[in-house]
Amino acid sequence: MTWWSTLFAVSPLVVVALGALLLMLAEALGRPAPAADGAVVTDVGSGRAGELGIGSAVVLFAGGVFALSLWMVGPEALPGAEGLAPYFIVDRFSAFFGVMLCLGGGLSALLGGGYLDEHGIDRSEFFPLLLWATLGAMALAGAGDLLTLFVALETMSIGVYAMVGLRRNGRAIEAALKYFLLGGFAGALTLFGAALLYGATGHTDLAGIGASVGTIGQPGSTVPAGLVLVAMALVVSGLLFKVAAVPFHMWTPDAYEGAPTPATTFMAVAVKCAAFAILLRVLFGAFADERVASWGTGWPPVLAVLAVATMTVGNLIAGRQESVKRMLAYSSIAHAGYALLGVVAAMRSGMGQASVLFYLLAYTVSTVGAFGALILCGRRGAEAVSYEDLAGIGRRHPVVALAFSLFLVSLAGIPATAGFFGKLGVFLAAIDAELYVLAVVGLLNSFLGAYYYLRVLVYMYMREPSPNAPRAVPMRSGQVGVAIAVAALLVVWWGLFPLSIGADVTAAGSAPMAR
Amino acid sequence: MILAGIVYFAVCALVVLLGAVGVVASRDPIRSAVSLLASILGVAGLYLKLSAEFLAAIQVIVYAGAVVVLFVFVIMLLGPDAGSRVEPSRARPSRVVGAVVAAAVALAAVLLLLPRDHGLTSFGEVPAGFGGIEAVGGHLFTRALLPFELATALLIAAVVGAIALSRGRGVIPKAPPPPVNPTARMFGGPVHPRDAGRPLGEEGMR
Repeated sequence: MTWWSTLFAVSPLVVVALGALLLMLAEALGRPAPAADGAVVTDVGSGRAGELGIGSAVVLFAGGVFALSLWMVGPEALPGAEGLAPYFIVDRFSAFFGVMLCLGGGLSALLGGGYLDEHGIDRSEFFPLLLWATLGAMALAGAGDLLTLFVALETMSIGVYAMVGLRRNGRAIEAALKYFLLGGFAGALTLFGAALLYGATGHTDLAGIGASVGTIGQPGSTVPAGLVLVAMALVVSGLLFKVAAVPFHMWTPDAYEGAPTPATTFMAVAVKCAAFAILLRVLFGAFADERVASWGTGWPPVLAVLAVATMTVGNLIAGRQESVKRMLAYSSIAHAGYALLGVVAAMRSGMGQASVLFYLLAYTVSTVGAFGALILCGRRGAEAVSYEDLAGIGRRHPVVALAFSLFLVSLAGIPATAGFFGKLGVFLAAIDAELYVLAVVGLLNSFLGAYYYLRVLVYMYMREPSPNAPRAVPMRSGQVGVAIAVAALLVVWWGLFPLSIGADVTAAGSAPMAR
Repeated sequence: MILAGIVYFAVCALVVLLGAVGVVASRDPIRSAVSLLASILGVAGLYLKLSAEFLAAIQVIVYAGAVVVLFVFVIMLLGPDAGSRVEPSRARPSRVVGAVVAAAVALAAVLLLLPRDHGLTSFGEVPAGFGGIEAVGGHLFTRALLPFELATALLIAAVVGAIALSRGRGVIPKAPPPPVNPTARMFGGPVHPRDAGRPLGEEGMR
């Protein structure tokens, strides 16, 4: 009777896939909502963005609940889970990411329900795309084989490419095209690297590759080291593109700015987290050999340089932006740098991977909240994008401004928020791995980052809009409100009681990455 | 025997590479499509050399047969002048830097691979039936079921995305569409059941 336990092991994926199919059926068969004047339905949607938003959020939260119950039962206890390896690895790591991705995706769906409705982008394909992309992201986090890795990566990416271009103005098309072309190129790099890896080692599963790579340099080994090196560089470059690490970040600001804000949220949250998951799996599953993962002879110094460059470039350019959305895009680049710091630290420190996981969790809830608050600040025809748009909103709409401030403070890493403990964990891991310079650079960078986050607060509370400028009037939406409330609750909860999930994060981070 | 294998590989590889260069180098989209066809057929030949007969057949049927034909259809639909005639712009510093960096990376990769005198990993003798329909299908539907099903998710996402991006922005009109054109009714009889019982109107007699 292992079939039911196998089914249970993949239940988060199954739930999301079935939900996506049901949602597509409901959307196709359902009647369009009647427009006010009886006839004109622009942008040929079904007019039911709000309902579909709630539906897809329910599906994703159900998937998250299944992942959570998988975690409670313990993937080790499932006899059927072993049969899925190496194509899909069911362990605490993938269950953890299942919960995190469903949370991020579900909150983005709620934001989408409110946003698309308000701004008249009545394109109901947004929600199935979001669900399929989340499915790809969850499969990516559990991929233990180059085959699953590539298919899952493409499933995730294709959904997001289309989501970026849903709004038909020039900027959105430019964003979608840029993201699609560069993303396709990065996918090709990953695939080329995967082919070379297979040629060099004769394996496509990460564990087998890891075992072959471990024999390099020993007598009788036939594994060509140069080929493995080139292959590793190609695979990791493709993944770093998805993470938006410098120098693979050029697409990020344009794609983030041109996309509808809920799609931006999804990109910043789910895509980045899943890419980090598979980066950890590849680096610590296939290239975890003592020499390959050591500071003197392996990949860590290269990744450390990229981490420092990512943090610094992201923070420096973010400070010069006039658009808050673009600032958040550059700040998400900087956050990728902090998380990469944790990845580098994980080569020597046992808490490195756990610190990355907690960082991503804190980053997820803070980012969803920040983008949600930005959505809430604008309304139809007057979307809030620049700092000027937010001027004086603290006095006129204190609740919105308070929520926005909370998330920005968390992103800046100020104590009593989840973001603070995320950064603290990463820096402690770096110190534990004896990478003191990196820890100091990270600390300096977080001061740099605080400048532009607090600048938003200054505009909200201490500036008045210029007399002629149109005043930002926050929209009203229950869905966006709920998403922000959930995110705020988690930010405060993990900010006050980080140890409440400390043991879980450690358990997820200490699972072997490939089998 | 071994020499024949090497010659076969070299010919296929040459066809693949020349086809690929032709795709990006030719200005005429039809020539690009045909070069792509050559490249795809070359890859199918390489699959044969790897004992993957089923994959080679699929490559020819799906890519050469369906995908390239689709490309040609689209090119024909858009017309031969659809491609924008963009004059190659002058070298900008960023392009020069990009080209230099790319060349340096490629050179480094080649240098890494060149000097060692090692063969690639030997995969040993292939078992009987390797690369046939049964072997591929058996693996796909048992061990690799999950990535296989994931490919369906990929295709659905791609289809939904394509629809979402191509579906026009428009207005659903209140009134039904105007009746079919009168000429069709005069010469071809009623083309819509709804119009079958209606006498020819004034516009039909004109």
